[in-house]
Amino acid sequence: MTEEEDVHQTVTMPPMRPVEVAERQEAEPQARDTVFDIQGLTARYGTNVAVRDVNLEIYRNLITAVIGPSGCGKSTFIRCINRMNDDVPSFRLDGRILYHGADLYGDGVDPVEVRRRIGMVFQKPNPFPKTIYDNVAWAPRVLGLKKELDDRVEKALRSAALWDEVKDRLKRSALSLSGGQQQRLCIARAIAIEPEVLLLDEPASALDPIATSSIEELMHDLKRDYTLVIVTHNMQQAARVADRTAFFSLEVDDSGRAGVLVEYDETSKLFTAPSEKRTEDYVTGRFG
Amino acid sequence: MAAAERALTLRGNARVRRRRIVNRLVEGVATIAALAAVAMLGLVVWSIAKRGAGDLSWGFLTKSLPLFGEPGGGIAPLIVGSAILVGIATAIALPVGVCIAVFLQEFASPRVRAPIQLVIDLMNGLPSIVIGIFVFGLLVYGHPQNGLAGAYGLAIVMLPLITRATQEVLRLVPSAQREGALALGASRWRTVVGIILPSALGGILTGTVLAVARAAGETAPLLFATSIYATTVQWDPRHALPNIPTQIFIWSESPDPADHKRAWASALVLMLFVLVTSLVARAAFVRSRRKLSR
Amino acid sequence: MRVTFQEELDQLEASLQEEGALVLRVLRGALNALAQRDVELADEVIAFDDDVDRLYLQIEEGIQSLLARQTPVAMDLRLVLAMLHTNLHLERMADYSVTIAKLTKLVADVEPDPVLLQSLEDMGERAEEMIRVALDSLANRDLQAAESLVDLDELIDRSNRRFVERVVEIVADPGIREWVLRMVLVSRTLERIGDHAVDIGEQVAYLLTAEFREFTDASHPERA
Repeated sequence: MTEEEDVHQTVTMPPMRPVEVAERQEAEPQARDTVFDIQGLTARYGTNVAVRDVNLEIYRNLITAVIGPSGCGKSTFIRCINRMNDDVPSFRLDGRILYHGADLYGDGVDPVEVRRRIGMVFQKPNPFPKTIYDNVAWAPRVLGLKKELDDRVEKALRSAALWDEVKDRLKRSALSLSGGQQQRLCIARAIAIEPEVLLLDEPASALDPIATSSIEELMHDLKRDYTLVIVTHNMQQAARVADRTAFFSLEVDDSGRAGVLVEYDETSKLFTAPSEKRTEDYVTGRFG
Repeated sequence: MAAAERALTLRGNARVRRRRIVNRLVEGVATIAALAAVAMLGLVVWSIAKRGAGDLSWGFLTKSLPLFGEPGGGIAPLIVGSAILVGIATAIALPVGVCIAVFLQEFASPRVRAPIQLVIDLMNGLPSIVIGIFVFGLLVYGHPQNGLAGAYGLAIVMLPLITRATQEVLRLVPSAQREGALALGASRWRTVVGIILPSALGGILTGTVLAVARAAGETAPLLFATSIYATTVQWDPRHALPNIPTQIFIWSESPDPADHKRAWASALVLMLFVLVTSLVARAAFVRSRRKLSR
Repeated sequence: MRVTFQEELDQLEASLQEEGALVLRVLRGALNALAQRDVELADEVIAFDDDVDRLYLQIEEGIQSLLARQTPVAMDLRLVLAMLHTNLHLERMADYSVTIAKLTKLVADVEPDPVLLQSLEDMGERAEEMIRVALDSLANRDLQAAESLVDLDELIDRSNRRFVERVVEIVADPGIREWVLRMVLVSRTLERIGDHAVDIGEQVAYLLTAEFREFTDASHPERA
């Protein structure tokens, strides 16, 4: 019908900033692979319970943030995942952490093997007092991944958005880099051994705002290839960066104080319409 | 409101003035004490230098020992002997000391660490004559005197020094370094060998140099190990090795005044060696500490 | 820096422009249906409004999420707020177009007065132009274009005066009275559409100058 053609008459509009409307990002989450299935996790230091009865699943290629007031056990929780708490003498863990179905604390599981697959970046950048190259190359060498070491180092530094800045001074000391660069070096060091998961314990809290921003951008890129779990006391950072957010809080009862998981959901939901009142109080800044 | 009207003078009252005087007094006493200590060292250095400098010459350092009653001669065999003794002692004490320190700092549980720490500290305080008799009884009695026994004695003197110094430097390595290495999937010992020891190297060297300075002057362990009859340069440690400290002792007991003079000169050589190595060790330590702490 | 944030903003703005394009199509459809007394076309227009509503909701949620997660400030914040308001204005304009389509259906069987119809068509074209100018001023960050909307609104008013004159002339005829009544509603609806376009212009001016001004106050001080 000719009249119908009128309806479909497109109106010419001058060009604006070029954005492909067609390539809209998927808003709906698809069914995701579970990387960690955490069941009834309770972590203790002697008689003090750090976190109690945590149940949640962490999904592949997402950034999952853990937020909450200080002392709620966020760091303890994340360090359970790569067994970094093993060296603390009074540490005890109940419950299970299933990594692709295998219990991380099962019999015969070697913590060294666990940490090869689950890397960690710490709050204060801690590069080794070696050259930039050796910082990245040390772990692969030690673990027997000696083939094409140069390529491996370059790839890791590129992934950490550091290659262009250091490619001409790989033999200089790592301590000559700025704070933000050092932290990116630590990230490069961690991904040089090709882990599946990266745990980041407040990775930007020791950095200035510009360096923080660069780390946040980097995380967006990294999640294409890795699964990231980040602990942060800065909830705006969690809001900016994370796909899903877990809110921990402190519960006080007769046996003492312990951290508990209050709410775990898509970040967008947590920051626009949280289900729990405690979550609402925390994110609006009225408590904690 | 009345307080606001009173003008602020910021001048102290009598109590404050008294406090100031006491302050100055204490400062003065402390300064005098420090100067006294410096003066003491200066006195020792000066008196040795005065008596020994006259005989110090290149010939003195390179000629062989004079035979009984002979004028001239030199202490070349003594220097060689001391060097060999200290060298062997270091070769024993350094690896053992570092290993003990690594064990104590990195691997031992607190229950195990405490007694071993105590033993090391006791070893430090062991009188060197006791060490000498022990070495004599174990290694020399029934055999001819030999340098190796002396070297073992010196090693026992050096061990606690090296262990302590190594421990201190290991402790200086930030735990963040250990955590970083462990988080990369490296095992404990790999972390120690690859990350911690290299960082501590400077301090270990310093500790060793200090231990060397100390051992070079130790006399008692060597008294039983060496012999007064050796006069020429001796390279084989299985024989008795002449060395500086014992020779100083022997010469000072001699009736010949020329021997006394040689003793002073040798003492000067020894003291200069100790001073120089101590200063070098201190400079190296300061440098390595700067490198570690950022 | 904040590349992902910028991408989100760009996406939202692109969606808004897409919504604008849809609104123009809906309006054009309603005007054509009116001119040709085409009931089927009118039904299509009414159904098409669902697409606009869907996009409206999507943009609303996107803005809510962006505000919560990215805490925009300064110009970013003004842009997001301007987009929030513009979204609403566009949705209203689509609803008004549906109103026109419904009115068309009600009196489709009546023989229209060509003069009246022509002035309505003129008003419709003015409205279309205003929507276009409003959307362009947002896309190009053009303050002058935004401010020019006031003058364009004046043109609608002029067409409206001609419309009223004609109504007065023919309203006496009983056969056409109901139709005329409906057409008066259509003219008011078109005027409203023009007002919303001016509102979008005000939002653009706010975005660019950080001041919120009502345009009408500036150029017609005698009006309240």
